[in-house]
Amino acid sequence: MGRKTILQLLAIVLGLGMLAACGVVSPESSFAATHPEQLGPGRPVCSDCHSDETMKGSLKPYAAFDHTSDFVRNHRFVAGQDANSCAVCHAPSFCSDCHGGKVVMKPATKLGDRPDRMSPHRGDYMTLHRIDGKLDPSSCFQCHGRANNDKCRTCHQ
Amino acid sequence: MKRRTQVALLATLMSAAAWGQEVSVYGTTMAQVWKSEVPGFDAKTFTPATQFLGIDATKLGTDNLSLHLYGWGTSDLGYVKASGGKADGELTYGYLDYRFDRANAEVKAGRFAINQGGGFEQVDGVSARTDLRGGFAISAFGGKPVLYRPDDPTASKDYSYQRDFIFGTRLSWRMQRVGEFGLSFLQDGTKPAKDLTIPQPVDYTRKQVGADVHLMPTTSIDFSGRTIFDVASHPDTPVGTEKPSNIAEHDYTVRVKLPGQFAVSGNFIERNFYAYFAGTTMPSLFRQDENDKFRGYGGNVTWGAPGSLQVMGDYRHTHRDTYGDSTQFGGEIRWVPAEKFLVGVDGHRVNAAREVLVDPVHPSYSLTHTEARAWGMYETGKISASVDAIVQKYQDKLNPNVNGQAWLYEVVGSLGYQVTPELKVSGDLGYGTTALAKNEAKGLLRAEYRFGMGKKGGR
Repeated sequence: MGRKTILQLLAIVLGLGMLAACGVVSPESSFAATHPEQLGPGRPVCSDCHSDETMKGSLKPYAAFDHTSDFVRNHRFVAGQDANSCAVCHAPSFCSDCHGGKVVMKPATKLGDRPDRMSPHRGDYMTLHRIDGKLDPSSCFQCHGRANNDKCRTCHQ
Repeated sequence: MKRRTQVALLATLMSAAAWGQEVSVYGTTMAQVWKSEVPGFDAKTFTPATQFLGIDATKLGTDNLSLHLYGWGTSDLGYVKASGGKADGELTYGYLDYRFDRANAEVKAGRFAINQGGGFEQVDGVSARTDLRGGFAISAFGGKPVLYRPDDPTASKDYSYQRDFIFGTRLSWRMQRVGEFGLSFLQDGTKPAKDLTIPQPVDYTRKQVGADVHLMPTTSIDFSGRTIFDVASHPDTPVGTEKPSNIAEHDYTVRVKLPGQFAVSGNFIERNFYAYFAGTTMPSLFRQDENDKFRGYGGNVTWGAPGSLQVMGDYRHTHRDTYGDSTQFGGEIRWVPAEKFLVGVDGHRVNAAREVLVDPVHPSYSLTHTEARAWGMYETGKISASVDAIVQKYQDKLNPNVNGQAWLYEVVGSLGYQVTPELKVSGDLGYGTTALAKNEAKGLLRAEYRFGMGKKGGR
């Protein structure tokens, strides 16, 4: 699909969307832009306060957003579907600590005073990556597969 | 985006911040120094300085309009250059955001990140989303992909040419107490490699369709995942060879909360490299031509007392067609014994298949290894302190990657002082061994500041 075709398609979709907007856009009010109360230290368990409640906007129980270790490891799913819910508490720079596209240092160095944060590549990861890369190179791909990083290119021509 | 366009955009956005009724400026200034002693080479000392800077300005003329900027710059202060002798920097994001009062509708313009389907992309362009009636929602974005150009511009000539435009859209449907279903499309680049003046076997463009799901019929059961299809046209495979699958990824996780604060989860991932690695900028590393496949499954058991203690045990088995099997298992404990006092320990062992060599003396070596980590952080008054220690033990010293060292470790200690509510200074000291450097000492000075009225801080 060429660029011109995409732009035409986009224009048609936007045009139709604007025409239909009054009829099909949800009349519900948007959910809060920020969490009204300051949260305590550590990872929040949303359902501690919002037990059996459904989060407005996402229509999912607050328990779906409990920040357990498992949630943190698999946050890619929630980030893909409910980015607006993440933004209630997290500034975009929180994501950029690790998902910066082009980064200047590994997250574990930048966050050296925050060992509680999940930062990939702690310790001598330069050595360990030679093993991880053999076992599963696809786990590297999401961050490094398209970053065109000169440090990677030094060895991986 | 050309450098002068970036500067113009940045100047426009920064001047727009002056209109904000609530402006937050935050940043971190870092001065690093580390000394590396590699046997056989002179000891080297590196001293880079780095500045991270962010601006959030809200209520730009209207309560709904805001501006968000974040980026970094770095330069080497010493004679020995860690960055190859050049200053560097990047605008990570810089966009205007308009949030509507209804329908969770939002429009962004500028440089922003998109996480959709299998892609996490930085885009210079426009994005929009809105909820529709009946639980439906739609989002779309389009623009120029942010290109990360390597030092050698000729190495990215085709890459820059092919990735001229990026477009994506996602349609979803949500229902209370059921969950969410989504369908997405992503096209990155419109000029396939076969259309280049000199056609290349490596294609930097991508075209994907994704389906994602998140089911949560009760607060106890949570099922989420996605499947991504590579829908780009590829050259015909040679006669007699198996046609590669166009399913790039299956990735599904189910969690069940049990009585007594227990939870169990299971995960399954399958990735076909031919489809999954489509569009990579490093084809020699992320090889599509091997037609390889990865499959992994595992799970974990978590027990948690709300807010104070969390214990997790996990297991994972992986299989790569061209390599073999590996099994990982271990556990993690996180504990909050008192307010502003957090500690954690974790340990994992990976039993991996042996790497085969063409060497009659050492025909193979083991990749099996163990990793253990302990950390703690404490804050009292204006003082904060943390310590983080990690040990990696490699089973086979013959593994050429470890350079004859079975044990590698690193310890990092940090001490901070909150000078004012807006300013914190801290220093990290680290010491350890790597496979290359026998001894490596690292120091880092950090000044973090935040001025203004912003309530979010990424903490």
